[in-house]
Amino acid sequence: MKTIRAYLSTLLIAALVITSLPVAAAPAASPSTDLVSTQSVLANDSGQADRERIHQLLNRADIQEALVDQGVDLDDVDARVAALSDAEAQQMANQLEELPAGAGVVGALFAVFVILLVTDILGLTDVYPFTR
Amino acid sequence: MKRYRLQNARLAGVLLLLSLLSACASAPQLRDSTEQRLPRQSELSEVPFYAQTKYQCGPAALAMVLTHQGVETDVETLIPQVFIPDREGSVQPEMLATVRRHERLAFPIRATFDALLQHLAAGDPVLVMQNLSLPAFPMWHYAVAIGYDLDEDILTLRSGEIKRHSMSFSRFDATWARTDRWGVVVAKPGTLPEGITARHAVNAISAYEESHGPEAALSSWQALVARYPEHAFARFALGNGYYADGQPDKALDAFKAATRIDPDMGAAWMNLGLIQRQQGHTAAAREALSKAAAIEGSWQARAQSLLDER
Repeated sequence: MKTIRAYLSTLLIAALVITSLPVAAAPAASPSTDLVSTQSVLANDSGQADRERIHQLLNRADIQEALVDQGVDLDDVDARVAALSDAEAQQMANQLEELPAGAGVVGALFAVFVILLVTDILGLTDVYPFTR
Repeated sequence: MKRYRLQNARLAGVLLLLSLLSACASAPQLRDSTEQRLPRQSELSEVPFYAQTKYQCGPAALAMVLTHQGVETDVETLIPQVFIPDREGSVQPEMLATVRRHERLAFPIRATFDALLQHLAAGDPVLVMQNLSLPAFPMWHYAVAIGYDLDEDILTLRSGEIKRHSMSFSRFDATWARTDRWGVVVAKPGTLPEGITARHAVNAISAYEESHGPEAALSSWQALVARYPEHAFARFALGNGYYADGQPDKALDAFKAATRIDPDMGAAWMNLGLIQRQQGHTAAAREALSKAAAIEGSWQARAQSLLDER
């Protein structure tokens, strides 16, 4: 996995550098009319667009690896990571482990069972259907 | 022995927590305007029901809100798109991303009980995340709120294996508050659900634009400007949409409107100047670019170099 990641990162950086070359080499006489993008203003872009993009690409490689580690199928993971917005990718890269994962099931010890039974009856939780 | 003591400590902690929590058991206080304006009851009974299997409340809840918005999908299709097997669940960023994969927009709602009821009254089911259990033993859960009854203080959800799950306002709000009242409304491109804040809409449409391109997001920017005509950033984003769609004149108008509403918006001056320059309006372009060059931001250097050219 480590090697795949290293390989992927290199590839992504190379791809990024190559795709940005024609812009850098464009003659000053015909300035590009690329407008300031909506997303760059939202991201509070401060002149570090390229560095940001490299970070983003590395982030996405990390997420991809983490999702595969957590059992997501290799065939699905590309499309899933591509579907994330930059902000979401940032969130996933920084705190995937801490993010709550909606599952709808609790693995309960007996003591916990009793506590949750009480809180259910008090109307604080909604774990056991028979308390209603 | 050690283990036993540990359990005792945990129990004590939970009891302490419980005493703290009991303060939140009261029903959520609704604003007077909500009580007066909203119909007493509302239920979106046409929202389809998909029962959750195993841990898959995320895909099931998504299937409900997506098919309600005319997407042809089902739980089986959504599982490989949003479910994380080893976590036995689905995380919020991927829930939003999956909505976009099906060419719908995901708008977060304001995190208040009032907002939740307003969306239901306006006809939009709300995908919510709850922690059905206590913070110490979380039981994260996605469900779809479909209705309410203000006289009975009852909220109705499509939840888990229950097609019509009725909960008291207070119990629901206790479980919902544990996710900071996370809720999402799903809509087709070009429509903006009632009651979505401009800031949430901007982020949602921008994320949609990132994955589907500016042409696909154009109609949503138009809807946003129609709803919030005095929102400078919405005008700016609409300008970018028009430009990408090959309508520079309309883009020009949108950027002009953005700079009129917010004269300090450097990015709007910059784009205005770039288009005017392209169209040969040299004097106007110089004026716009010099405004852009005077306002701090990533465009500043580029504006200055264009001004220096002649």
